[in-house]
Amino acid sequence: MVTNDTNLNFRNWLLDQPEGKTLLRCYQCGRCTSACPVADIEPAFNPRLFLQKIILSDELIAEEQLVWNCLTCEQCEVRCPEHVKIPHILILAKVRGLMKGNVPPAALDRARNILSIGRSLEVSAPMLKTREKMGLPDLGTPPMEKIVEMLADIGIVGNLEKVESVYGGSKDE
Amino acid sequence: MSKARTYTYFPGCMIPYRLPHFELSMREVLKKLEVELETSSDHSCCPEPTTFTGVDFEAWVTIAARNVAVSEATGNETVAMCSGCFHTLAVANHMVHEDPELKERINKRLKKSGLEVSGEHAVKNLLHVLHNDIGIEAIAKQVTNPLKQLKIAPHYGCHLVRPLEATNMDSAENPQWMDEIIKATGAEVAEFEDKMACCGAPIMPGDEQKALTITSKHLKHIKASGADAIVVLCPTCYTQMETQQGKVEAIAETEFNIPVLSLGELLALSMGLTEIVTDNQRRYHRVKITELLVKAGVGGA
Repeated sequence: MVTNDTNLNFRNWLLDQPEGKTLLRCYQCGRCTSACPVADIEPAFNPRLFLQKIILSDELIAEEQLVWNCLTCEQCEVRCPEHVKIPHILILAKVRGLMKGNVPPAALDRARNILSIGRSLEVSAPMLKTREKMGLPDLGTPPMEKIVEMLADIGIVGNLEKVESVYGGSKDE
Repeated sequence: MSKARTYTYFPGCMIPYRLPHFELSMREVLKKLEVELETSSDHSCCPEPTTFTGVDFEAWVTIAARNVAVSEATGNETVAMCSGCFHTLAVANHMVHEDPELKERINKRLKKSGLEVSGEHAVKNLLHVLHNDIGIEAIAKQVTNPLKQLKIAPHYGCHLVRPLEATNMDSAENPQWMDEIIKATGAEVAEFEDKMACCGAPIMPGDEQKALTITSKHLKHIKASGADAIVVLCPTCYTQMETQQGKVEAIAETEFNIPVLSLGELLALSMGLTEIVTDNQRRYHRVKITELLVKAGVGGA
């Protein structure tokens, strides 16, 4: 277990998550940034710097909309000499920023869909008809009551009721 | 005659309910190759790996592991057609395998439903099934219409391939299995710069402009190779490079006009299952594939 120093809350929380400890292997060489296709077109997007901030427990990064510019393509991780789980660590930073509203509205729409109907998108009646015409099987309906009950100790349902995105702009297409 | 192989098919959301022609063509191809697919209505959204992870990772890995457990209970190996679904199930399965504390936590949640995840289940994508289980020779035997006139760019995408420790693919930077399948259809494989580049789709919800800029770079590289079409497995990559190609062209101030096929459609064309592709071309292809079909020797209709 990691010690519970108040100043290191964010860092300690992250180190306790699955694969979070890979953060400690980072020695700031910057190969991640040189491999990153987003950094290539947006100089403010700098994975090496993000890792440095997280190592120093700078929780402000969880509120930065830039973390949602990560493609999760894992080019950085492939090039990292220490195999730090970089996109995963940025995912954990996003999770930490959720209740501050650092989440695109489309991501919230998808998450709410997933917890209500068990699909990331709405299943329309015409699409069900198309599947039937194509001779594709009926896939049934996921048992959402059971799934939501299973998640009770995690608290995601309550969080999704409360959270509001600070982003403006469009919904999922 | 060899015995039919049976897999539990994990359907997800995008393929069955947005791009069903992916499922239709691949199912018909798999039938020819004596593969049977079973489904379970207990499966839910995988959940998708590009945004749900950043909303609640613990919920993501739990739902994903539950889907693996549902498959595990069927006694078959799992195959996912969608790269996002495959990635989610494979990563969750791998994490459960590596992390006993996580495994215990998740199995406690699954217990009420009588499910259990072991971390030992085989989660496969279509390249594992086609290239490794069925094999190139058996595929080549079914090719009745060799696509000799076509030059095809294989787009693997990210989530199908990385991370290797979870995906069990051949290479993170220069995978070959889809290349070999394309060659088996008689087509030439296009070589292009930055083969393993991302399509850009994952950041569409957060930053459309940057996403489309990344897509435009990728399409420029592919166009420069002289490819007649791009072939994909992932429905999200397809949406980004095909459905959104008009938007990408507006940003790049270039006309690409490059068709995109699912791997199932390419194989169907090579195996004489032409109607499956032509019947659905207008509804699901915004970039016209008529010229491509003529070149493939099945056009004119």
